[in-house]
Amino acid sequence: MTRRIWQFPWGYIESALFATGIAAAGFALQLTVGYFDFYLLHFPANLVALALLLVLIALAVRFENTPFVRWLSGIPCAVALIAALLVLALYMTLTPQLAHPPAPAAAAGLIARLGFARVTASWPFVLLYAATLLALGVTVARRVYDTSRHPSHHTPRHDFAFLCNHLGLWILLAAAGCGAADMQRAVMYVREGETEWRVFDRDGTALPLPLAIELKDFTLEEYPPKLALIDRQTNTPQPEAAPAFLQIDPARPRGRLGDWEISIDEYLHEAVRIDGEFRASPMPASTPAARVTAKNLVNGKTRRGWICGGGNVLGFYAALTLDERHFLAMTEPEPKRYASDIVAFTPSGERIAARLEVNKPLTIGGWTIYQYSYDTAAGKMSSYSGFELVRDPWLLPAQIGMGIMALGALSLIGRGAGTQRAGTRQ
Amino acid sequence: MTWDAFPFFALPAALCWLIAGLLACRARPVHRLAIELPMLAGLVLFAAFIAAFWHTLARPPLRTMGETRLWYAFFLAAAGHLTWLRWRDGWLLLLTAVMATAFAAVDMLDPESHSIALMPALQSFFFVPHVVIYILAYALFGIAAFAALAQLWRQRTQPADTHLFAFMDEAAHIGFGFLVLGLLLGAVWAREAWGHYWAWDPKETLAFVTGAAYLIYIHLRAQGRTDKLVAWTLPVAFLLLLLGWLGTSLFPGAQGSLHLYS
Repeated sequence: MTRRIWQFPWGYIESALFATGIAAAGFALQLTVGYFDFYLLHFPANLVALALLLVLIALAVRFENTPFVRWLSGIPCAVALIAALLVLALYMTLTPQLAHPPAPAAAAGLIARLGFARVTASWPFVLLYAATLLALGVTVARRVYDTSRHPSHHTPRHDFAFLCNHLGLWILLAAAGCGAADMQRAVMYVREGETEWRVFDRDGTALPLPLAIELKDFTLEEYPPKLALIDRQTNTPQPEAAPAFLQIDPARPRGRLGDWEISIDEYLHEAVRIDGEFRASPMPASTPAARVTAKNLVNGKTRRGWICGGGNVLGFYAALTLDERHFLAMTEPEPKRYASDIVAFTPSGERIAARLEVNKPLTIGGWTIYQYSYDTAAGKMSSYSGFELVRDPWLLPAQIGMGIMALGALSLIGRGAGTQRAGTRQ
Repeated sequence: MTWDAFPFFALPAALCWLIAGLLACRARPVHRLAIELPMLAGLVLFAAFIAAFWHTLARPPLRTMGETRLWYAFFLAAAGHLTWLRWRDGWLLLLTAVMATAFAAVDMLDPESHSIALMPALQSFFFVPHVVIYILAYALFGIAAFAALAQLWRQRTQPADTHLFAFMDEAAHIGFGFLVLGLLLGAVWAREAWGHYWAWDPKETLAFVTGAAYLIYIHLRAQGRTDKLVAWTLPVAFLLLLLGWLGTSLFPGAQGSLHLYS
């Protein structure tokens, strides 16, 4: 007997229609009310939404023997939801996404009005995300319930992998969704020697911040720069199609650029130019300089001289003319490390001195302070430092979810395809 | 050791791998040592270059595309060797040898400029495990895609080969485990460096797409399905993976990615 569409048990066709229907409802909402406003979900609304989700999951477990709940926690539904999210995410990678949803939808084109200008804030995405949370939650809850009633159905090892992979993901997705509404981010710029406590969000409104930051010192270290052959007419590094650079590296003082063999005779990482001569000096304005010999491999001609990118001092700049077509110049050095020595003050009168670096943030009173930027034009002479301040009250549950997922991943690696033997009930 | 010396290691290594692959495909079986010794010799040579290169650069050689190709070639050959030890599929050993050679060849024909710079964002404990684990997953998924294509070729005229499906499952599950682990390490690192564990950066979005595609395969197979559609999932997922790895810089959506380093 053949099964008609929408007759239980539902399979892939119904699941695909279900996911498409959710997306369609999302597009309809998107066209009528515009982008999803995550602020609506901010605390405590997100807790209420989460509680509602848990009630739905509990209801599903209560009616777990109905064909609908069986389908909702089954594989075809999971595959359809994953595929729908995959399509939306793929679209996101193919087109530039706005950092924030465009304001009134009326003025924008149809693509933007359908939510594609920022997919992650569009109704179709939000609804599919919510449906995934529900289906995944029911799947986990049913499994736990079933194992508690019929331990013989599942081997503990198999259950462990299944639970880690599914529960970990559910916790992470739930915490990330709630966190999206509660997360606060702000950027603060502090001048050397000054103390700052005001931060502004993207609309320019001041945010209340229980912190003040004093910048004691900003330091920047640079890598030795590179040398490049520059065309005198076009001022572009050669060869045009794929410019070649010669890294100044004490371990490798010789190299080739085009027809020229270059040897670095002397390298000063911190040099200043005095009376046309370069000398080592740790002055703030100092910049890398190199004395080089360039030998043309075709005609044997040799050129010698100092080369310097100039840094912040125009007068330090020096290039070496090689022939009527090319000269040899130095690139701007790339930053190796930058750090801010700060003191953070809290309302309770606490003073915390710390050194902030990229990859080394400081957490204090629920806020994490990151080294964010500096005056890149001034380089190591930057007079200010930029800090990003982030507060995500849902970070801990997200981290717990990630930890559980990591156990699931290790289980997959250790047991391979054996992870899913004994199958999911379908 | 710089890129200048690479051919002196890569050429003999590739030769070893290809010989081992060809021997493994011979109709008349050869002694297993005749396959395993050249395979190992190639791996040792290749690993020696990576180690010496790392030492010279004074930073992990994982920053540029050419540097990640280096690891991919190595892991592809290594994973091919391990699968041969376990499953004894000669054709797969040859295929991985050819692919590893191809990736090494790209690096030989188009060497990159020597550069010792490693931007502060990459100076982290997470850098090496995050990238290495990802590339390992990529190698396993590459092998799974080959196996799936072989399966599809067979399925044109014959029923599915269950032995081959079992192998595809093994590679896909282990690869997915590594993919998730790499993703989680990246998330922890992103929170340490950029303020949040997930920001829908274009590379992250493509990682999500790739992960979702493999999840679909794993779920379809959990139902025991062996039809062609299921077998097609793996090559398609691998194509999405390649987009995320090699093609990120091509997309208009990815121009502002925090993951573009060179």
